[in-house]
Amino acid sequence: MKATDERTDSSPSPSPGAAEEFAAGRAGVARRERARDALLALVVVMGLVQTFALARWLDARRPAEDPFAAYEELYVRPETARRLSLGFNGVAADWYWLRSIQYVGRKVEAFQGEFTLDDLRPLGIRNLGPLLEQSTALDPQFMAAYDFGAVVLPAIDPDAAVRLVERGISENPQEWRLYHYLGYIHWQANRFREASAAYEAGARQPGAPPWMNILAAQMTAQGGSRTVAREMYRRMYEGAADEQVRTLAVQRLAQLDSLEERDRIRRALADFRERAGRCPADWREVAPLLRAARLRLTGAGVPLDPSDVPYVLDAAACDVRLDERSKIPKD
Amino acid sequence: MPEEIVALKTEAAARESGADLRRSGAAARVAAIARNTFREAVRDRVLYNLVLFVLILTGGAVFLGELSAAQELKIIVDMGLSAALLFGVFIAIFVGVGLVYKEIERRTIYAIFSKPVGRGEFLLGKYLGLCLTLAVNVAVMGAGVSLALLYVSGGWHPLALSIWPAVALIYVELMIVVAVALLFSSFSSPALSALLTFFVFVIGHFSAELKSLSAAGASGVARLFFAALYYLLPNLSNYSYITAAAHGRTPAAPDFLVAVLYGLAYIAALLAASTLVFKRRNFK
Repeated sequence: MKATDERTDSSPSPSPGAAEEFAAGRAGVARRERARDALLALVVVMGLVQTFALARWLDARRPAEDPFAAYEELYVRPETARRLSLGFNGVAADWYWLRSIQYVGRKVEAFQGEFTLDDLRPLGIRNLGPLLEQSTALDPQFMAAYDFGAVVLPAIDPDAAVRLVERGISENPQEWRLYHYLGYIHWQANRFREASAAYEAGARQPGAPPWMNILAAQMTAQGGSRTVAREMYRRMYEGAADEQVRTLAVQRLAQLDSLEERDRIRRALADFRERAGRCPADWREVAPLLRAARLRLTGAGVPLDPSDVPYVLDAAACDVRLDERSKIPKD
Repeated sequence: MPEEIVALKTEAAARESGADLRRSGAAARVAAIARNTFREAVRDRVLYNLVLFVLILTGGAVFLGELSAAQELKIIVDMGLSAALLFGVFIAIFVGVGLVYKEIERRTIYAIFSKPVGRGEFLLGKYLGLCLTLAVNVAVMGAGVSLALLYVSGGWHPLALSIWPAVALIYVELMIVVAVALLFSSFSSPALSALLTFFVFVIGHFSAELKSLSAAGASGVARLFFAALYYLLPNLSNYSYITAAAHGRTPAAPDFLVAVLYGLAYIAALLAASTLVFKRRNFK
């Protein structure tokens, strides 16, 4: 260190002119460095802009694709996906679950025409079954996927719905909720004996609620009745893990309420016609009878459906129907 | 990093290890090497992957929750624990294969073996050092998943606790992968070791297929071959409890204990094999 100091001491000190020249030189180098950096940054930005523009140009030259094409295809078969997942099957199941939801949501959004909850085939959701099958093959305990499949699939592909839930039962034989879903699918298809058998089998599973036995008995005795339907949707609402299933159950319960209200309105219309010998020209004429039937009315005496939209009086047919704006599912 | 700095750092580390070495026997020597391996991993910014993990978890919790139709807790567990496994496997493979190779490449292994350190002790120390790094990594990730669950559920949720057996099994799986990487790196180049370790990780998750192949083999030789592969390669599906953990299910206590014991026995065998190979290696 000492030697270094000596060397430093003995070296001639730079003249002020040389120091200024050195400083100016350094400033020049720094300026050039900054300019070079700015140029490089510009090249990065311009390069990205160019690639964006070129990608758009290439995309425009390709034939137009169905925006749902990606959702229509399964990359691999469910069992293959399960084998290839290397312990990441939970994440893969979630991925297919998210795809299923997005798939249905986009189809519903894109569809222009009319459809009912009982028949979703016009929407063209043909790949929902395989997507849910994939999801549940990767995660056989994924109850929300069975929930969703049991409620939505019967309106698209009833056989796929039965297959999905039956496979769920074989993977989770003690899960009473799956028997409930199987019973529900059979009930919807008016196969009351099979529905009853499913409820009976479910009632034997550990933790099954007592109403499973009650539904099993009701299925055989009065399978197609509204009482059974109401019980079914009430239990579905209480037990569903999936939010969309709960929403659907609420819609169905509202539909049942509306059906009962319309029955009461029809009775009131029939009473009026019997007394007056004609149909009422507007709701005001029949309002006292509707009030007596405990229906919800507006200030002008117009009955409201469960979604708070007024019912429409069909004076020509002496009948009642749902308004176009009503959120109640059409029959 | 310039070689001089590396050499100086290694020298300092060696001096520190030397001080420890004088103090006591084999356990202290192994502990000193493990401690230095851990410090080296921290210096190499291996734990920076935790930042990426936090970003994934936050993204999952905030954005995917909206899309998942009330399945956000399941998705957080699946995503969080899978990320913990994935990052852990990357660290185990890419850091694991360099454990021995780096020391040979930098020639620091001569400084270490000039001290009274056995080759087995060196390997065990290196192994435990990386396992310590992974333990910190996995514990922080597990805690991150628990916190995300508490945040999303807006209070206490049993999943925050019930995921921990699965976290522990992920850690045991990573310990096995490190031991495999160490075995390969004791006689092979890092690139080949990484590839072979990755293959073992993949095949380890296909062990059920190996078993069924051995049962369904056409000839006796084929049956024997697949059965030998099945028992020779680690059965990593014993540690796949992420999906079950996402449903709040924990492994049965006997399954958990036997899986841990199986892992420890397998690791012991791999470390012994690594030592046998490494002992015969000539560094000249």
